[in-house]
Parts: sequence; structure tokens; C-alpha cells
Amino acid sequence: MRIRFLRTEGFRLSALYAAVFALSMVILGGFVLVIISQALRDQIVTFAYADIGAIRNGYVIEGEYEAREVVQQLMAGPANSGFYLLQRGGRVLEGNLPAMGPRTGTMELSVSSAGRSREVLGVGEFLAPGLYVFSGSDLARPRAVEAHILNIMLVLFPAAILIAVAGGALVSWSFLRRTDAMARACREIMQGDLKLRIPVRGTRDELDRLAEAINEMLTRISALMENLSQVSNDIAHDLRTPVTHLRNRLERARADSRTEADYAHALDTAIAKADEILGLFTALLRVAQIEGGERRSAFAPVELDSLLTQMRELFEPVAEEAGDVLQLTVADRALIRGDRQLLVQLFSNLIENAIVHTPRGTRIVLSLSREQGRAVARISDNGPGVPREEHDRLFRRLYRREASRSHPGYGLGLALVAAIAELHGATIQLVNGDRPGLTVEISFPLMDTEKS
Amino acid sequence: MKILLIEDDHETSAHIVYALKGEGHDVTVCHDGQEGLSAARAGGHDALIVDRMLPSLDGLSLVKQLRADGNRIPVLFLTTMSGLNDRVEGLKGGGDDYLVKPFAFPELLARVDVIARRGAQDSEPVRLRAADLEMDLIRRTVHRAGKPIELQAQEFRLLEYLMRNMGRVVTRTMLLENVWDLHFDPRTNIVETHMSRLRGKVDRGHGGELIHTVRGAGYTLRAD
Repeated sequence: MRIRFLRTEGFRLSALYAAVFALSMVILGGFVLVIISQALRDQIVTFAYADIGAIRNGYVIEGEYEAREVVQQLMAGPANSGFYLLQRGGRVLEGNLPAMGPRTGTMELSVSSAGRSREVLGVGEFLAPGLYVFSGSDLARPRAVEAHILNIMLVLFPAAILIAVAGGALVSWSFLRRTDAMARACREIMQGDLKLRIPVRGTRDELDRLAEAINEMLTRISALMENLSQVSNDIAHDLRTPVTHLRNRLERARADSRTEADYAHALDTAIAKADEILGLFTALLRVAQIEGGERRSAFAPVELDSLLTQMRELFEPVAEEAGDVLQLTVADRALIRGDRQLLVQLFSNLIENAIVHTPRGTRIVLSLSREQGRAVARISDNGPGVPREEHDRLFRRLYRREASRSHPGYGLGLALVAAIAELHGATIQLVNGDRPGLTVEISFPLMDTEKS
Repeated sequence: MKILLIEDDHETSAHIVYALKGEGHDVTVCHDGQEGLSAARAGGHDALIVDRMLPSLDGLSLVKQLRADGNRIPVLFLTTMSGLNDRVEGLKGGGDDYLVKPFAFPELLARVDVIARRGAQDSEPVRLRAADLEMDLIRRTVHRAGKPIELQAQEFRLLEYLMRNMGRVVTRTMLLENVWDLHFDPRTNIVETHMSRLRGKVDRGHGGELIHTVRGAGYTLRAD
């Protein structure tokens, strides 16, 4: 666990950062050292030329004696650390240096003074043939400055590296702490607590955004799971009823049947009941499959107007036999993208509902019009209608109105309608009429080329 | 008829064999895809009934291979729960019809009968005839005993399907699929009402009924 943070991305980044930081410090420090030391040396040389200038002035105006006078004055100056030499031939005229070979220009000398060896930087020149002058200063002062800078750097460098490493460790530790918290939350969610969410700090940083994305995903998953468990509960519950009926009928047939015809009748009803149960399964699977959305790959342009015309032709005799009237009023042509077979099923279910769940003599009107860039299909009837508070429940799977329990069906027709509509990006609205009646309004997005 | 059944589930295959033998068909069964393909290639069958899900070679690939060989034997696919795309896939893959399990015996028998006949048919007819009922497929007209009968487009398609399968039983589901292209079980009696209208126009007032109801199975158009 202790070693683990060394393997984190945060730590790797901060180690790299520390290394780059240290390297740049070394380069910067080197520059500073060279520049300062060069400036100090330049200063010594400048002073040396100034001194020599003064000595030369004395010599030119008043002769050798005055030159010696100037040297003496310079040596006696306040806080003087200078070294001077005025020599003619090999003989020292004035100064605090022993005679030496007369070299001209800037030079470094090693001299022995007061029993100590000194490094001296200075300038040598001839005032006149044979008359040589040297002026310089002890290099101890620039050397001390250099050493001082170097010392500072030697202390600062490890401190800076320490800070960089500590900062990196802190960053990676806090990063790790948050990712660990996320991993822990994920694990707890996996163990079944789907209500749990990844902690979000509210800083809108990248980890927060990741956590939010995961949380959104979890919300979606738990909604799907809830739906799923709702469905499996419904199935288990709703299948019990027909299977129980089937079992009861078989039991009763076993007890009551006397003749072969009795048995045949009992078996026929049992087969019909079994078919009903299988039909329920098929319908449930179909809803699930449509909700899964895989069908969208088979989408093609569909002319809704011609589809509705076909629906009217298909159901008109059925409505007539049920004593109803089925009419079609198509106001507009409308092209949408969709799956014709599924759309046929959608309209069939709605029209069949209007035929089956209304009394004889009901007027059913199909209509289609283009409204605000959408194709709106309406199936209206002037039957008894459905109370407002039941509208939402109608589209739920396996929901059956009390009033319709006497009709055969699984309570899946409208769930299927809702699934097909959703697949097509369509919205469904139930509107109560005033006679009273019910209007189912389905609004499809038109194909792009159709919108104008 | 000699039928090759390729179905891995023993209970289902026993069930189908029982139904087909009851109708006097001769049935051979294979329980494995590869084995079934070899048997089908060996020939000597009038029709093939193939389950979609099979060990070693699935039904769709099996039929595709047969079709690639140039084998034109009529094929009826069987499947468990109806996947919406399965049907289209099966028919595109070379199947002649598609039946979802579980099915009633009459449904299976009627379909086998119809696809086997389709295989034997050689050219597309232009005129269909049953006793004194005549249908002109080019002019889209129908006459009974020389008198014209006015039919709506759907009624025409319904009668055409019955006449093309004259003497054979066609089920409610077959009519829904083939006449109206409906692939679900409607809750209203669509087939019955349309059939009743058609009968009103074709049979009523004419001597001798042609369209008959086959109890528990479907309808048949018979000229006896």
C-alpha cells in the first residue's frame, strides 16, 4: 500500500517535474555564478586602469617623483586592498610587490605577502621605456562571493528537489485517495448497492467530470434494472394467473369429463389457454426487443399517408362488423423514416383498441396532418374515453383497465405502441374528447427532406 | 411426400414427425447441422424443415450452403421465439417460409403443403381457374360463370392467394402474412371479416360454394 503511490501517474509526473526543476536550477545557478564572477573581475580591472591612469598623469605632468607620490597615496587610501608596483629596470621604485618581469595587459599573479600567498588580478603597463607600473587587487573578494553563491545553491538545490518531490507525493496521494474512493464506490455498487454514487467534490475538475459521467451511467443502469425487475415481477405475477387457470381447468376436466367429447373440449380449451400464455411471452419479448432498439437498423422511408390508407382498408370491414364506423381524413402527405411492419402494428393496436373497447356505433376517425415540421397522426373515437388519471398507466406493460378485463388481451398492446413510437422518435399524447371519447395523438419527426 | 427434418430437440422432432406421418408423409430426421446438410445434399426429399438453431452448423448457414450448391428444394424454417429480424433473414437466406414454435399441427401441415407445391411450380400463370371462377392476373379481373365480380384490391389479393393454393388448406396466419403482410396476431377478426365479404361476392348467389372453412385449421378453395 505504501509503495503503491510510487506507481501512480501523479507521482511519475511529479518526479519528472522535480528532475526538470533541478536541471534548470543547475543551469540557472551556473549562469548567475559566471556572470557575477565576471562582473567582479571586470570591476577590479577597471579600477586597475583608473589607478594606472592616475599614476601616468602624475608622471607625465610632474615626472617620476610625482608618480611615486601617487602610488604612495593610493596605497594609503582608505580600505585599500590593492597591490601596486612601480619599477625601473629590475629595481622597485615604489609599491607593495616584489620586482617582477614586466608583462603588460591584464594578468593574474600569485604573490606572497605578509607570509600569505595571494591571488592578485591586475594590469601592467610601461609609463615610459624601462618604467613599468602594475596595479591590481586581491582575488579573495570575488572568490568569496563565488563560494557564497555556490554555498547558497548547494543548500537550495536539495531543498528545491525535496519540495518538488513532496509536492508530487502530495498531488499523487490526493489523486490516489480520490481514485481509491471511486474504485471503492464502484466495488460497493457492484456488490449490489445501486443507490450509491461516486463522491463528487464540486470543483468541476477532470476527476469530478469522470465521477459525474459514471454517476449518470449508474442512474441510467439502475433505471433499466428497475424496469427489468418490474417486468420480471409483472411476468411472474401475470403468468401465474393464466397458468393457474390452465391447471384448474385440467384438474376439473380430469374430475368431470365423462365422454370423449368432454375430454376433447377440455383439451381444446387447455390448448387455447397455453397458446394465450405463449402469446404473452412473444408479446413481452417483442416489446423488449423493440425497446432494445436493434430494429432501427432496418429503417427506411415510409409514406405515412399510404400506410394509414392501408390501415383503413384493413380494418374497415372489422369495424363495420363491430357496428362501428371507421373513417380516414388525410390532410397531408408525410414521409418519415421507420420500420413499416412495426408502424403497421402500432396503428393496428390503436385501431383495434378503439374497436374493441368501445360500444357499438362508435365513430373512429384516423387523420394525418403536418404540424410544425412533424407528421401528426390521430386516432379519435367518440366512445366512453379514459379518465385523465389513468392516461399514464395505460402505456405501462401488463396494465389492464378494470373495464377491459373481460376482453382477451395481455395488457401489452399500448406498451408495444409506446415502444414502437419511442423507437421512431415519436411522442404520444392522449387527449380526452368532449363527446367524451379519446384521441391518441402520435407525432413523428418528418424525414429531413420533407421538413420544408 | 418425402420430408427431411433437421431439428436437434428430440421432443419437438418427435412431435413434428408424429404430425407429418399422420398425414401420410415420409419423414427422415437429423439432429445435427452437418449431418443434416449431408443428408440434404444426398437428395431424394421433396421438402426440408430446418430449425434455425442447430449444433455444429446453424440452419441459416445450412440452407445458404444448399442454395449455393444450386439446390432448389423447398425449405421451411422453424424457430423459437420470433425475433423480428429472424424472419427476413431466413427468407433472404433461401427459406421459402418461416414458422415460429410452438405451432399448431394444421399450421405446419398447411405450410409444408404450400411450399412443396411452390417448388414444383414451373412457370408463373397469367390466369387462375377454379370450376366456373376465373381470375385474370394481367387484367386484374374476376369472373364467375362469365359474370364479372368487382373486387377491392385486398379482396383480389385474398382470392388470388386462395386460388394459387387451390385444394390446399391455408391458415389464418398464412393469410395475414401473405395477403396483408401482417406479422403479429391481431386481436380482431381481420381474416374472418374479409373472408366473409369475399364469400359474399364470390360464392353468394352462385351455385356451389368454392371457399370452405376448415375447422380448426383455416380455409380452402376447392372446386368439387
